[in-house]
Amino acid sequence: MGDEEIAKESVFNNLVQTIYHQEDFDFVSIALQEVTGLRKIRWRFAAGNTNERFRRIVLRSGIGIAGLVVRTGEPFIENDLEHHQYTDYISCPITMVEHLTNAVAIPILDSDQLVSGVLLAGYRNHQRVTVHSSHVLQEYLTHSNNS
Amino acid sequence: MLESANWVEKNFSETADAIFIFQDDQLLVSNQAAQTLQADYDLSTTYITELMQAVVKQQRTKTDDCFNCVVKGMAKTSVPLTLKSKDGQSFSFFVVYSELDHAKKVYSLTLKSEALMQRMDQLAQQRKLVQYVNRAHEEERKRLSQDLHDSIAQGVYSAIMGIRHLDPATSHTDDAAFNHQTKLIEKQLYETLQEVKGMALDIRPSVLDSFGLESALKALAKRLEENTGIAIMVVSHNADQLNLVEDVQTVLYRIAQESMTNAIKHASANEINLMLVAHDHRISLEIIDDGSGFDVQKHLSFNGHSLGLMNMNERVKALNGVFQINSKIGEGTTVKAEFPIA
Repeated sequence: MGDEEIAKESVFNNLVQTIYHQEDFDFVSIALQEVTGLRKIRWRFAAGNTNERFRRIVLRSGIGIAGLVVRTGEPFIENDLEHHQYTDYISCPITMVEHLTNAVAIPILDSDQLVSGVLLAGYRNHQRVTVHSSHVLQEYLTHSNNS
Repeated sequence: MLESANWVEKNFSETADAIFIFQDDQLLVSNQAAQTLQADYDLSTTYITELMQAVVKQQRTKTDDCFNCVVKGMAKTSVPLTLKSKDGQSFSFFVVYSELDHAKKVYSLTLKSEALMQRMDQLAQQRKLVQYVNRAHEEERKRLSQDLHDSIAQGVYSAIMGIRHLDPATSHTDDAAFNHQTKLIEKQLYETLQEVKGMALDIRPSVLDSFGLESALKALAKRLEENTGIAIMVVSHNADQLNLVEDVQTVLYRIAQESMTNAIKHASANEINLMLVAHDHRISLEIIDDGSGFDVQKHLSFNGHSLGLMNMNERVKALNGVFQINSKIGEGTTVKAEFPIA
C-alpha cells in the first residue's frame, strides 16, 4: 500500500468518525472497492457498529443498499427497512447485522468519476432519513475530498 | 331398489371396520369384521357398550363447558380403545358411536383400526411433503429468474447502453471521456461476470463434481460468510481422499446448505461450525450453530412448519443414513448426518 493509499484511508476513517460524532446517526460506514484482484467491495470503516461482523461482508453489485448504489451511482434513501420485502441476510446484510431501521447511502466517486465506494448512515430507531440526509452526507464527502 | 339394498348390505358385512348395532344395549346385528374381532380378541359386547355409554353420558351433560357448542353437536362421539389378542399382542382402535333411532334406543358402534388411520396420516404427510418439495422448486426458479432479471440482465443492458455512447469521433478529440466510458463498461461487465459465477455456484457447485465435498463446503461457507458477515468455520478430518457416491455427496452438501440457511434466517446465529469427519466405515457431517435454538420435539412431529427438517430426514434415510437434530432454546442447534461408506 503506497503513501497515497494510506492517506486516502485515513481521510475516509476520519470522515466516518466526524459524521458519527457531529450528526445523530446511529451507524456510519464506508465501503470501498478493492482496486486489484476480484474487485470485491467491503465495509472498511465504521462508527457506531454493534459488532465486527460488517468486516466479513462482501457486497454484491446490484443487491442490497450499497450494491444498488454501486450499480446505479445514485443515492439510496429508504425508511422502514425491517418491513422491506427484500430485507434478509442474502440481500441486505448490513441492515441485518447492524439492525438498521432507516438508512441513506451515497456513492463515493474516484478520479475517473466511477463509483469506488459507498458512504452509508442509518438509524436503529424511528428517526427517518430524507433527501436532506443524503445532502448532508454529500456535504461531508465533498468537504473531505477538498481538504 | 332391491339390488341397491343388496349392495348396502354387502358393504355393511364386508367393510374393514367392525360394526355392531345395538338395541337397548343388546346386540342386534354385527358384520363380518365385528364377528372376527369378537372371536380374535375375546371381546365382550357389554364392555364396549358400557364404555361408550359412559362417554356418551359425560358428553351429553349440560354442565359441560361447551354445552352450546356447534362443533360438539357435529362431531361423532369416539373413544380410543386398545385390545389384546389371544397371543398377547395389543392393537389400537377407535370406537365411534352413532345413534340410529333415538326412540327405539338403537345405535351403532364402529371399531376403526388405528393402524389404518395412522397409515392414512402417513399418506397425507407424504402428500404434504411432495407439495413442499414442489413449492421449494418453484421458489428456487422464481429466485433465479429474479436474479437473472435484476442483476444480470440489468448489467448487460447498461453495458450495451455504455457501448452505444462510445462515439468513435470522441476517441480522437476527447481522450479522457473516451477512456472513462470504456472503463465504465469494463467495470459493469466485470461485475456481471461475478454475478454469473455466483449464481452458477448457487445453483449447483461445479466444485462438488471436480474437487469433492470438502472443497465445495469450504466454497459454500466462504460465500455465505461474505453474504452475511457470520463467521463460518469448516473443519474436516480424513475427508479429502474419499470416494463418496455422488448422491451422498449431494445430500451432505444440501444438508449443510439448508442447516446454515436455517441458522442464519431463523436462529440469528453469530458463528457456525461445520465438521466433516470420515471414520473407518462411515462419514459424518455436523453443522453446529450458536443461535437461538428451538424445541426439537415440537418441530419433528408433523405440524406443517418443519417440512424442511422432514425433507432432510427423508433424503438421508433414502440413502441409508442417520439424521439427527439436537437443539434447546437458547443453546444453539446441532444437525448431524451420517452415512455408511465402504
